[in-house]
Amino acid sequence: MPEAVLLGGEQTTTAVEWVVFIIAATTTLLGSFGVIMARNPVHAALSLVGSLFSVAVLFLNQGAEFLAAVQVIVYTGAIVILILFVLMLLGIDTEEDLEDEPLRGQMPVAVGIGVLLTASVFALTQLVGFDVVTGTPEVTAAIRDDMPNINQIGRLLFTDFVVATQLAGVMLTVAVVGAVVMARRPREYQPIPEPESMDAPLSLDPTDQGADNGAEVAD
Amino acid sequence: MELFPSDAVFTPDVSWVALWPMVVMALGGLLLLTISSLGKGRIPRPFYALWAVLTSVGSFITAIPLWAQVHGWEDAVLWYDPEVDPTGPFSTVGGVIAADGFSVFLTMLIAVSMVAVVLVIEAYLDREQDRFPEMFALTMFAALGGMVMVSANDLIVLLLGLETLSVAAYVLAAMDLRRVQSQEAGFKYFVLGAFSSAFFLYGIAFIYGATGGTGLVHITDFLAANVLLGSSGLMLLLGLGLLIVGFAFKVALVPFHSWSPDVYDGTPSPLVTFMSSVVKVAAFAGMLRVLVMAFESAGADWRPVIQGLAVLSLVGGALGAIVQSNVKRLLAYSSISHAGFILLGVEAASDVGTAAVVIYLTAYSALVIGSFTVVTLVARSGDRLHTLTDYQGLGRTSPLVAGLFTFFLLAQAGVPFTAGFYAKFSAVIAAVDAGTAWLAAVAMLSAVIAAYLYLRLVVTMWFVDPAAETDTSHVGVPAAAGIALAGCAAAVLWIGIFPNTLTDWAERSVPAVVQPAPPNLVESGDEADADVEFEVGPDGMPGMPGPMPGEMDFGELDLESLGIDPAELEAMLEGGDLGFDVDVEFEDPPG
Amino acid sequence: MVDLIWLVPALPLVGFAVLLVAGRRMGEPAAGWFATAMVGASFLTAVVAFIGLGGLEEQVFVQTLFTWMPTGDISIDAGFYLDPLSGVMILFVTGVATLIHMYSIGYMHGDPNFSKFFLYLNLFVFSMLVLVLGDNLLMTFLGWEGVGACSYFLISFWFTKPANASAGKKAFVTNRIGDWGFMVGMFMVLFTFGTLSYSEFLPLAPGLATTTATFIAVMLLIGAIGKSAQMPLFVWLPDAMAGPTPVSALIHAATMVTAGVYLLARINPVLAVSADWVLPLIAWIGAITAFVAATIAVAQNDIKKVLAFSTVSQLGYMFLAIGVGAYWAAIFHMITHAFFKALLFLCAGSVIHGMHEHQDMRVMGALKKFLPITFGAYIVGWLSLAGVPPFSGFFSKDEILAYAFDVNPVLWFIGLAAAGLTAFYMGRQAFTVFWGTPHWHPEEESVEEVPPAVTGTEAEVLADADDPAATSAATVVATAQPAVDVSDLPDDFEPHESPWTMTVPLVVLAVAAAFGGLLNIPLPSSLHFLERWLSPVFELGGPTKLSLSDGSILLLLSVSALVAIGGTLAAAAVYLWHKVPSAPLEPAVLANGWYIDSSITAFMGGPGTAGFQATADVDTKVVDGAVLGVGAGVGRLAQASRYLQSGHVRRYALSVGVGTVVILGFMFTRVVI
Repeated sequence: MPEAVLLGGEQTTTAVEWVVFIIAATTTLLGSFGVIMARNPVHAALSLVGSLFSVAVLFLNQGAEFLAAVQVIVYTGAIVILILFVLMLLGIDTEEDLEDEPLRGQMPVAVGIGVLLTASVFALTQLVGFDVVTGTPEVTAAIRDDMPNINQIGRLLFTDFVVATQLAGVMLTVAVVGAVVMARRPREYQPIPEPESMDAPLSLDPTDQGADNGAEVAD
Repeated sequence: MELFPSDAVFTPDVSWVALWPMVVMALGGLLLLTISSLGKGRIPRPFYALWAVLTSVGSFITAIPLWAQVHGWEDAVLWYDPEVDPTGPFSTVGGVIAADGFSVFLTMLIAVSMVAVVLVIEAYLDREQDRFPEMFALTMFAALGGMVMVSANDLIVLLLGLETLSVAAYVLAAMDLRRVQSQEAGFKYFVLGAFSSAFFLYGIAFIYGATGGTGLVHITDFLAANVLLGSSGLMLLLGLGLLIVGFAFKVALVPFHSWSPDVYDGTPSPLVTFMSSVVKVAAFAGMLRVLVMAFESAGADWRPVIQGLAVLSLVGGALGAIVQSNVKRLLAYSSISHAGFILLGVEAASDVGTAAVVIYLTAYSALVIGSFTVVTLVARSGDRLHTLTDYQGLGRTSPLVAGLFTFFLLAQAGVPFTAGFYAKFSAVIAAVDAGTAWLAAVAMLSAVIAAYLYLRLVVTMWFVDPAAETDTSHVGVPAAAGIALAGCAAAVLWIGIFPNTLTDWAERSVPAVVQPAPPNLVESGDEADADVEFEVGPDGMPGMPGPMPGEMDFGELDLESLGIDPAELEAMLEGGDLGFDVDVEFEDPPG
Repeated sequence: MVDLIWLVPALPLVGFAVLLVAGRRMGEPAAGWFATAMVGASFLTAVVAFIGLGGLEEQVFVQTLFTWMPTGDISIDAGFYLDPLSGVMILFVTGVATLIHMYSIGYMHGDPNFSKFFLYLNLFVFSMLVLVLGDNLLMTFLGWEGVGACSYFLISFWFTKPANASAGKKAFVTNRIGDWGFMVGMFMVLFTFGTLSYSEFLPLAPGLATTTATFIAVMLLIGAIGKSAQMPLFVWLPDAMAGPTPVSALIHAATMVTAGVYLLARINPVLAVSADWVLPLIAWIGAITAFVAATIAVAQNDIKKVLAFSTVSQLGYMFLAIGVGAYWAAIFHMITHAFFKALLFLCAGSVIHGMHEHQDMRVMGALKKFLPITFGAYIVGWLSLAGVPPFSGFFSKDEILAYAFDVNPVLWFIGLAAAGLTAFYMGRQAFTVFWGTPHWHPEEESVEEVPPAVTGTEAEVLADADDPAATSAATVVATAQPAVDVSDLPDDFEPHESPWTMTVPLVVLAVAAAFGGLLNIPLPSSLHFLERWLSPVFELGGPTKLSLSDGSILLLLSVSALVAIGGTLAAAAVYLWHKVPSAPLEPAVLANGWYIDSSITAFMGGPGTAGFQATADVDTKVVDGAVLGVGAGVGRLAQASRYLQSGHVRRYALSVGVGTVVILGFMFTRVVI
């Protein structure tokens, strides 16, 4: 039987895990602050990368390798790159006054919500405890402790969820085709003007054809 | 003590017979894309239409033996092999795809609807002098998503079917690149659809948390064996509520309907036939399977919600339609009201109700495809004439089209001896049968209100003289659209006058709770040592993914290649410490 | 012979189909004659079938065309049910319809949509026959919807007039209320008995629980009230007169509007076992309708409106008859009413035709010289409706009054008062239209002194009078009904008699109206032909047996006759001899139909419309309002987003969100702790 037990059973936290946690948690927070404090949007985006990457490390620390990988690929790899693309393409004016908030009163509200969230997380851990697993026993029982979870997910994808995997492929194909269709805009197309109003004024008269009806009767 | 080593892989049992309709549709779509990209415009457009029609027909044909099989008429299937092919309702690929009367019938319905839809699209593209092989491919993929939805026996698969369907539908809505309204429709549909899909996914997560699985059969069994209290119960109910929201959005129930008039209005008319038939069929099928089958025991919790949605949709749809002056928007509201009627069957949560839903969906598909085909034709080149003004005097200029439209509208209004009446009749019967006569009364009230707007259209066509700006040119019926119209009209009449066949089919179309077939153990050797049969308890067995109760026959296994020591197994069997029943016959007894 | 019964509705259907395909090619008058021939053939078939029915022992014949839904525990057939009641109905429906078809050939002469008119008429006759002959409630419902739709189409036939379209709409909307009642009642029958077939469920009706029976009866009563234009759903019928006059005669007098009475008579076994307030309710609805509509008719100036309110009033009598258990009397009155009211409408049509489409009685007068045949026929119809012996209306109305007297003298008194009013308003119409001085020459109008009938100068004339109340009332009348403009008539205008296709039906109907009373002579009882013929149909319904002695019946007869003659004389005093000023007799409140219609219109136009609009706009207005309210602080953003129309999406998303919150909130309440 394999020896490597990464997760589950009696959990013990090793010293290494503590050290990793502290470092990663600190960089996560620093990154987050960087996102909201940085004046330069590119710097803010890079801070976001740092923050998200640190979260990936936290996942890894918890034995969630798959989540860690997804975190890096999707968030750091795709989303932040997209953000950077947009920033570069649009050519952000670094001189823009960041004090001029588009949403008035947004700052105090955000602070309030943040405090509330922190408080509720704290309250939850204090009242319920750290080691509570919600959901039915099966949810956790199905997770094996003798195999890395990437393997487990991989096995599921190609056994029980093979249909779902294939379908996801079809769906992505559809999305790609759709994107191509939308982007292709033949030059010969002339836009067709649309009527202005779509909702007619109320009329209970069966022969009343709405406001846009000029000559209703002609006989 | 583990019986199987950790790297043993259990592959799900696959019955291809259940997958063929979907596989045909998927392959047809992919090949069409390939051909069109290789052909570089040299292939005439009708080829694609023909291809799509043939694919749909092929999908339909492959569903026929399945229909026979799930009803135990396997003798009718020439190539039936009792060794591998199941009989009666079954589920396959690890239980995520169900093959029962419900899924097969609706798969066939989708395939048939697809034929009509493709023909209408072809007529439209021909008129607009447009080449869009993608339009066919996307409808085919969307139909595939619909087929998956009607067969899905697992929430994840259901979601993916829904997304395949939806993503294709978003693109289809925005497909008329000349009209900004079409793009707007696609955008709205996409944003709101994504919004509701998020709710749906969130609901799946909650349900997984509460029950430990996403398989509908698993959920059914779990809820039958457990009563969820407190936070677990809350988790389940929230999940259920979120699933309902997701479905309600897709079938456009008040108050989740607001996208539908805009989207119907903006979408190219031939594609509205698709949206209002296949999309609704699929979404209602998913809703019915999830609510009525999997959450049957939670009926007291979801039935009031469905009742509320039904009342709102019935009344809101009918009232909203009254003030419309755009025919597409008007029909959009009317389809909201129809959706309310279908909910009567869902809400009944009974076999009668399920049959009513199937009947309604069939009748409604024929009606709505016919109606929107007429709308497509009347819109003329550019797909732009949709106001009531444009329908004035249609009875005089184009009596055939106007007559057919009148027929479809009267049927939608529920005139006796048409499909519309029989569908409404079935829904009302189901509601009363389920003890919600008040809902039936509301439905009849809605039908009474809705009749006004259909008659209003009829009067516009036959009794109002064309206005100055009305296009009074004759509306011709191209052959392709003519076939679709004739088919729809024949179906409406046939269902209306001789409803027994459909009733018979509908009563056979009941979703079944079937345990998945046991998985196969991947073998690495070719020498078999033992024939092992396991009786597995409710908690599953060690070394296997997830709980899989039931009897499993692993056939002949090569124990050594699996890393099992026959002697050790023998000892375990004698010691009886396996925790489950096992029946092993050794070909070559150890020792 | 009864096997031919399917032909009765089939022939008009064939007519409809042929006209649909080839009507335009047939043209005028071939299309009209063809349609008439089809309905006429249908009438002959009906006669044959009727005679055949008389020869049957059971006097019930069911012909099943095909089984619609044989599976399960519910079985519905499509078939025809011929019994004494439906036999009588098809006879007079096809008979009157044939005459009216023939009349229409002359009346619709020159109409661009000549063939289309007959198309709808044939479709209507088919629907009406399905309604009457259907062997189950579903077939009846099919006919019920069919006649409703045809009525809607035919009222809107001259859609060039906005008023017609609006009247068609009103008829349709009002009828939907009744249809809803019919549908609910029908489903209730289906769930109670598992069948809709009359021959199956009516014999079982005596075993019904009272509440079930009451529910069914009340629902079908709602349907009947809508269709037969009883209080409070009668507003549509007078407006329906906007359609061509033959339509008014056929649909809104003789046949369709009696469908409600037919339905109630048909389900008499159910009425018998329902709660003991149901029948009196029907009786009171009928009596009050009869009286109120008669009062309104007194103050109408449109020649057809008078007849329309009169129809409502007469239908009230039929309801009264049902309510007092005199089912056969209701049918009797239905038949005679079909004769004389169709006759009156056709006469009115002839007059309108002769007057170049003028319908206002105030421009008529002294027409008896110009339209002699019409005049003669009209006299018969008039005296029949007024209840003057020995015309048919006298006998049928008196039967109803006799039963009413037997059950509740108060009902009898109301009915009698309505009868007096009927004689009065009919006298008013007759004297105004056919006697007196002609008013159709504009120049004569101006020199004429104090015209007896109401004219445009009436307000000034009465303003000089001393009675202030009369003055104000007259002013209201004058304001509400401005002077009739007759300037479109040529100076040498003279009313002319109608062509023979129009006058022949008049004469035939006049004969029927004059002698229709012979169907059922009140005394001695051995001459109660119709009652005996219909008695098997009403056996289970426990019809009221008249307990009056022959002497009392004679006395009641004389009272009725006296009232009828008295009413006529009173009208003569006012409108022929001008002994009494007419204005106080026609107050605005009556002219405006007790303001029932206008209050409904006011509601529909005001709060009702607002309600519809609010429902329709809930996406755009209510939710938007909420969003804007919340977003007041978001000012600029909201502005910007509305430019991009993403405001819509956000609004939609909000409605999705609100719905979600409500559903989840409900789920919270369901959690078991």
